Amino acid sequence: MPPDHNLDDYVDAYEHGHRHGGPLRVGLGGPVGSGKTALAAALCRTLGAEYDLAVVTNDIYTTEDADFLRRNAVLPDDRIEAVQTGCCPHTAIRDDITANLDAVELLEARHPGLELVLVESGGDNLTASFSYGLVDVQVFVVDVAGGDKVPRKGGPGVTASDLLVVNKTDLAPLVGADLDVMRRDSAVVRGDKPTLLISLREDPAATEVAEWVRAQVRARQLQQA
Amino acid sequence: MTASLLTLADSRLPAGGHTHSGGVEQAIAAGLVRDPASLAAFLLRRLVTSGAVAAGLAAAACRGRNLPVLDAEADARTPSPALRAASRQQGRGLVRVGRRAWPSPLWDALPAAPHHPVALGVAAAAGGLTPRDAAAAAAYLSVSGPATAAQRLLAMDPLTVAAVTARLAPEIDAVAEDCLSRADGELSADTDPLLDLLAEVHATRGDRFFAS
Amino acid sequence: MRTRVEVVARRGPGGRTVLPVVRGSGQLAVRRTGPSAVHLVATAFGPLGGDDAEIRLVVEEGAVLAVRSVAAAVALPARDGDRPSVQRVLAEVAGELDLRMEPTVVARGAHHRAGLTAELAAGAVLTATEQVLLGRTGEEPGRWTGTTRVVADGRPLVHTTVGLGPGAPAWLPPVAPRAYASTVHVGQAAGVLTAGDAVRLPLDTGWVATAWGAELHTVVRAVEAVA
Repeated sequence: MPPDHNLDDYVDAYEHGHRHGGPLRVGLGGPVGSGKTALAAALCRTLGAEYDLAVVTNDIYTTEDADFLRRNAVLPDDRIEAVQTGCCPHTAIRDDITANLDAVELLEARHPGLELVLVESGGDNLTASFSYGLVDVQVFVVDVAGGDKVPRKGGPGVTASDLLVVNKTDLAPLVGADLDVMRRDSAVVRGDKPTLLISLREDPAATEVAEWVRAQVRARQLQQA
Repeated sequence: MTASLLTLADSRLPAGGHTHSGGVEQAIAAGLVRDPASLAAFLLRRLVTSGAVAAGLAAAACRGRNLPVLDAEADARTPSPALRAASRQQGRGLVRVGRRAWPSPLWDALPAAPHHPVALGVAAAAGGLTPRDAAAAAAYLSVSGPATAAQRLLAMDPLTVAAVTARLAPEIDAVAEDCLSRADGELSADTDPLLDLLAEVHATRGDRFFAS
Repeated sequence: MRTRVEVVARRGPGGRTVLPVVRGSGQLAVRRTGPSAVHLVATAFGPLGGDDAEIRLVVEEGAVLAVRSVAAAVALPARDGDRPSVQRVLAEVAGELDLRMEPTVVARGAHHRAGLTAELAAGAVLTATEQVLLGRTGEEPGRWTGTTRVVADGRPLVHTTVGLGPGAPAWLPPVAPRAYASTVHVGQAAGVLTAGDAVRLPLDTGWVATAWGAELHTVVRAVEAVA
């Protein structure tokens, strides 16, 4: 490498804070069955009246999640886009985000005033996480039924997500999970990053998660102002 | 050849190719692809039809021929709406990453959401490659994506699939050579009606892993 | 053998079509079989490998032309060498052209190349069919290559080449049909339709339907079902 080599030759000037304008993009990831779609539906119901919002689903096989949202979230069809992930839900949100970017851009073009886009990943495992080229912030959803060891096991979703949601706290006594252990382990592996223990069955509005999302939208709007 | 060709043909280039099966998903559903031999036959028929067309278009676009004209010729060679959409979707994805990877004014002459081979030719030119390179990349990509898709869908031995793809190299080279040796400006129009049919049946399915 | 056919259809007095040019030479004679219809009549066996036929059809604005043939053509191998037989249809249409010839049967060892190039003016109507059978009864298949290019109002509408038979690179088991039929239509739009081994694809102001299989009569029925 010559001494005068300029590293800026390799890196675009807009690499940091690469996206200007547009809605806040929130990734919803997590293992199969943890309640990602239910959370997305809850957020649509709670925030739909406040924000101009849309959803991208990454069903691994069918349009089931998109259909679920249509039925349960009172979200019009033209605010839901489903992408096919080529048997690889993980790739579609992290390694090659093209199909998801297409879907987000389509929604942005269709709804120019869009303020919030939820990108729901296909059910994957604990190593799945979103690329920050696709989303601005990401929520990782696990559930109590998966066992109280999940936070301790870590993985990028649990440790690095901007918000960890532990869903189905109502099932804790039934599955012998200790919520305090989960709370403590989460704090250990996540440092300052927040964790919310919730039950969508007991709180179908997902009040705390919605409040966290509101704060993210405000932060982005401030940043853009 | 320059190393840009390796980047352009790399299946990990984030241009959206991994969500397309090139007809393999429906060919598997129809029982036409089920083992390495039937996969090889499928890849070969795809290579010599849509692969040859893509190679010709990519080489022509790389050479600097009028891009909207080439895009219209791509449309004429792709009457299947599902295949058109798949090609344009992948073209758009390639433009997105290509503009970042190889900044060049050449991109500006492309129509919005161009056919993938046309975008590929521009990417090749922007990356300092030759029409022959562009043709080779197009021909290679016409089989590498479907091969990977078949591997995933059938849980085939990845080594076997890699070997099938690798052994198609002489045929891939022949397709790339052929589009250069054609008379002035003549673009292949070779088509496989089976691929059209598979694509259209696939597009109506609600239960699919791949976009095409 | 060199074959040349030329037919011009023109709008005559009172709007009726007249055919000022009806010419055939070589292996094809042209018969007027209606006020706006001609039949092509083969005057020899074949075509043979190496034969070259060119059929020029001009349908001027306001005119109508129907082109038929009286019997199936049997493409035979060259007496020496392996040159293909060639038939090119070159059509310029501002009116309405209906081109439906009898099937082409390609005998073992023969390679027949069929081409249709149609330049359509705005508002022109075209229907062109192709029916192909590889091999006569009990015979090994021959090889057929068919190219269709339709340009409508200066813009390419469809341009496809289908290769069938031994040696055609995409004619591979398990889908290596002996019979093939295709219809291209410009004038009235229609959407996608699939049925068995038949598919109809939309064109800007028309459609193209294709079917394939083991027997010509079932394939012809299949293409008509989606046409």
